[in-house]
Amino acid sequence: MRVLLAVVALLLTGCGATAAPPAYNAADVMFLQMLIPQNQQGIEVVRLARDRQLPPALKELAAAIESTQLTEVDDMKRWLRDWAQPETMDMNPQAHAGHGGMKMTSPDLVGTLKTAPDAEFARKFLDVLTGQQQGAVELAQTETGTGGGVNAQARDLARRVIESRSAEVKQLLNFKA
Amino acid sequence: MTWKRKLFAAAAGALLAPVLVVVLPAATASAHGYVSDPPSRQANCKAGKVPNCGQIVYEPQSVEGPKGLRSCNAGLAQFAELTDESKPWPAKSVGTSVTFNWVFTARHATKSYEYYIGNTLIKSFDGNGQQPPATVQHTVSLAGYSGRVKVLAIWNISDTANAFYSCVDLQIGGGGGTTPPPTTTTPPPTTTRPPTTTPTTPPSSGTWAAGTAYKAGDVVTYSGASYRCLQPHTAIAGWEPPNTPALWQRQ
Repeated sequence: MRVLLAVVALLLTGCGATAAPPAYNAADVMFLQMLIPQNQQGIEVVRLARDRQLPPALKELAAAIESTQLTEVDDMKRWLRDWAQPETMDMNPQAHAGHGGMKMTSPDLVGTLKTAPDAEFARKFLDVLTGQQQGAVELAQTETGTGGGVNAQARDLARRVIESRSAEVKQLLNFKA
Repeated sequence: MTWKRKLFAAAAGALLAPVLVVVLPAATASAHGYVSDPPSRQANCKAGKVPNCGQIVYEPQSVEGPKGLRSCNAGLAQFAELTDESKPWPAKSVGTSVTFNWVFTARHATKSYEYYIGNTLIKSFDGNGQQPPATVQHTVSLAGYSGRVKVLAIWNISDTANAFYSCVDLQIGGGGGTTPPPTTTTPPPTTTRPPTTTPTTPPSSGTWAAGTAYKAGDVVTYSGASYRCLQPHTAIAGWEPPNTPALWQRQ
């Protein structure tokens, strides 16, 4: 249904007599709707670092990831509101299998981390966060790629996501557990 | 279905088809993963420990090819660097019992995991066609091997014909072994540190630069404007001060 709405919106803009490019398209909307929960899951994961024994530099990185992704979530929700688009989409992961599935961490993942003994936490935290942040890169690449979004803000966000998450993954792979 | 309905469906399909191409921009394989520790070759490339790795640094999780291969790059030309034995691949020092850790960007149904040395299957783990658990670790005995070895770790997907490949270089038992190193250089064992622990001199002023460790209160300039650091962090591309108000306050 959401897709249908987006389609209708797209058709309406597409049928407009003016030649002005659309401010956003269905790919922009879907990118934001998918990145919001992806970011929120990432925030859940990095918050687990607070109360665990981890290298200070890793805690610092986790805290910076939390702050920056909170800002991104606020921005994305505001853009969707401005576009009169819903913040959320169909949360059935199968509904999005066609474009690689939901790039989000399953709830059991956060639960597994929460209950992991201290001795195992660092390793699991690194692996979960590495996969989580790399997943955001994959998501953002659909926005900047062929057939992706057209909105300048959303595309710039995708650029920043690709750059920042790639750099974060590089740092994460350099930590030892 | 009546003729009218068929016509409507066809018309709707014709209308939807070009839009769906936009909605589904990348119907690429979604299951992705690699061995993070001991670091696989793609992990070492992504971590910046091996130079000139090519495309793999952008997608270490994408070494995907048909099942049954025995190559480090899944036969993919764009990842040919992974098969280059002249590269200074670090080999982690391990005992004869090694725990392999996987990173996934999507956890899809798994047929099995296999660990090879050369053409010898050392150990396999059944995936039961299930989604992998939150984190995957396998402890594999490499008893009988010593010195430098190259383990090929394979993640076989159950609902596609493909598998993901990770080559992991190891130094077993620390001492010189029966398996000679394939390269002329033996990297020092595990001297790498997180980049954040080796900061450059934190400037109280200067131009914002990725790679610099900033502490709260540091002041930088970026695009002609001045910003004060609110939260300690190591700067990275994508975290430019104007885009990260949680990290930087414009002066």
